[in-house]
Amino acid sequence: MSAAATASSAATAPLLEVQELSCRFGGLLALDRVSVAVQPGEIFGLIGPNGAGKTTLFNLISGLTPPSGGTVLWRGEAITALPPHRRNRLGLARTFQNLRLFDGLSVLENLLVALQPRSRNSSLDGLLGSARFHRAERLRRETAWQLLDELGLTALAEREAGTLAYGDRRRLEMARALATGPSLLLLDEPAAGLNPAEKEQLCALIQQLRQRHQLTVLIIEHHVPLLMRLCDRMAVLDFGRRIALGSPEQIRHDPRVIEAYLGSGPQGAGEATA
Amino acid sequence: MIDNGLLVQMLLGALLGLSVYLPLAAGQLSLATPAFYAVGGTLAALLSTRWRALGATAGGGFPVPSLLLELLLGGLLAGVLALLVGRLVLRLRGIYLAIATIALVEIVRVAILNLPFTGGAIGIFSIPQPFSEASGYLLMALLLLALAGGLCHRLEAMPMGRAMAAIRDDELAAACMGIDTTRVKLTAFVLSAMVAGSSGALAAHFLNTWNARQGSFDVSVTTLAFVILGGSRTWLGPVLGGLLLTALPELLRPVGDVRLVLFGLVILLGPVLAPQGLITPALLERLGGAGREPASREDHP
Repeated sequence: MSAAATASSAATAPLLEVQELSCRFGGLLALDRVSVAVQPGEIFGLIGPNGAGKTTLFNLISGLTPPSGGTVLWRGEAITALPPHRRNRLGLARTFQNLRLFDGLSVLENLLVALQPRSRNSSLDGLLGSARFHRAERLRRETAWQLLDELGLTALAEREAGTLAYGDRRRLEMARALATGPSLLLLDEPAAGLNPAEKEQLCALIQQLRQRHQLTVLIIEHHVPLLMRLCDRMAVLDFGRRIALGSPEQIRHDPRVIEAYLGSGPQGAGEATA
Repeated sequence: MIDNGLLVQMLLGALLGLSVYLPLAAGQLSLATPAFYAVGGTLAALLSTRWRALGATAGGGFPVPSLLLELLLGGLLAGVLALLVGRLVLRLRGIYLAIATIALVEIVRVAILNLPFTGGAIGIFSIPQPFSEASGYLLMALLLLALAGGLCHRLEAMPMGRAMAAIRDDELAAACMGIDTTRVKLTAFVLSAMVAGSSGALAAHFLNTWNARQGSFDVSVTTLAFVILGGSRTWLGPVLGGLLLTALPELLRPVGDVRLVLFGLVILLGPVLAPQGLITPALLERLGGAGREPASREDHP
């Protein structure tokens, strides 16, 4: 099943591929040999009931948690042994389900922090305040203001991040991830806690950002209708296993998915065919 | 009431405050400052009493350039030690790092107490004097503080300082934003050690004698109190804390050994009464915005 799915989408080389990835926390097998390949340019959705291992998969991909087995490939090269900051510099950025901003820094500074690993000027330049340092700093600020503009945060630039309203914090986290200049953006439940109107805006924003920044997006979301509209392909996790993979349409009618969400039984099977 | 001698001690206090502040600015609670202070002081004491080439005279005089060389070497030796130790202990987080650094302070103290050439419990005495008056030391301490303070001030507007602040707020998120957290923490730790090492080298000459007690756990607690009282959000906080808390016990001489109780009280009451310390970014903004870079679209190089 896994091999067939990979072969069918192997027209272009995947940007990110996880092979047989497992993660064990003591007696709990959070991920059980999960394989997924994300093609460049697509929006790939990840759904599953609570505790299915979605965030764990994100943590393994971004390098926060070491896997118990399996490989993470980036443009065909294994990055399983790389620390998170190296993976980010390769072009892999993420947001967090429970928002991890630099609360003590201003909105602008949150972006400046994320922008600086990209510009390679030495600490000596900074200490001496050389022209090169000022040039790099000016460039960082310009980029930061552009991103703030793009995400509608300009008016809040000087506010301390910890004092922002919830929706603004969500957008700031996306702006911060974009500031690192990623090719792949991992979004962990970006619509959580947003009202229906905000969810619509977010949907449009993600599509807009994908176009403008040539992004590939891997997104975890509980709001399935939103994801169905947004995604090119989806995978479904349940108890650490990938139980389905395919287009939103295929996922919608997959009996295993319906079983995972609604429980097994004649009614569940009946609805699937209806 | 405050003579030059006390002023020198106050400035040394401010320097040690900065040494505790630097790792803390990157979210790392290190209590290792006294260890590096002791290493710098012992090096200076040994060099000036044993190494004739530095030019100590029979009358107890000492050339100023040799003192400067010792400040440099004291800072470098402490920095190298921090580099070696830091790779190991900075893997620890929070209170575990604090405990490991206390262990380092103890190891250095016991080593200085027992090494064959450091004078045992009596220590090294008759350390030659580069200055006949305390005012010379005052100038030297001011120079060191200007250097260390200037460094901290520059850091706040630099990528390194921003990365430190980001790690203090959320280390995992910082790592996911491409920041090499190990390197940033190690840099802060090494800078902290260099400040302490140079301060120790100056203190050895100023105090005229040097022994293992100079770098004890007590000093860990007092220097931490400097930062907690002054505030850890800008470098001016620990400087003020160091100045105040060094002067206080001297001015309250009659209190004597109750001094440590006083520091304990500050550590206890400080976070309750002034959670951010005496000097906060908000205070600096009210006083004229010296603490933070304005977030303006125009840049003035």
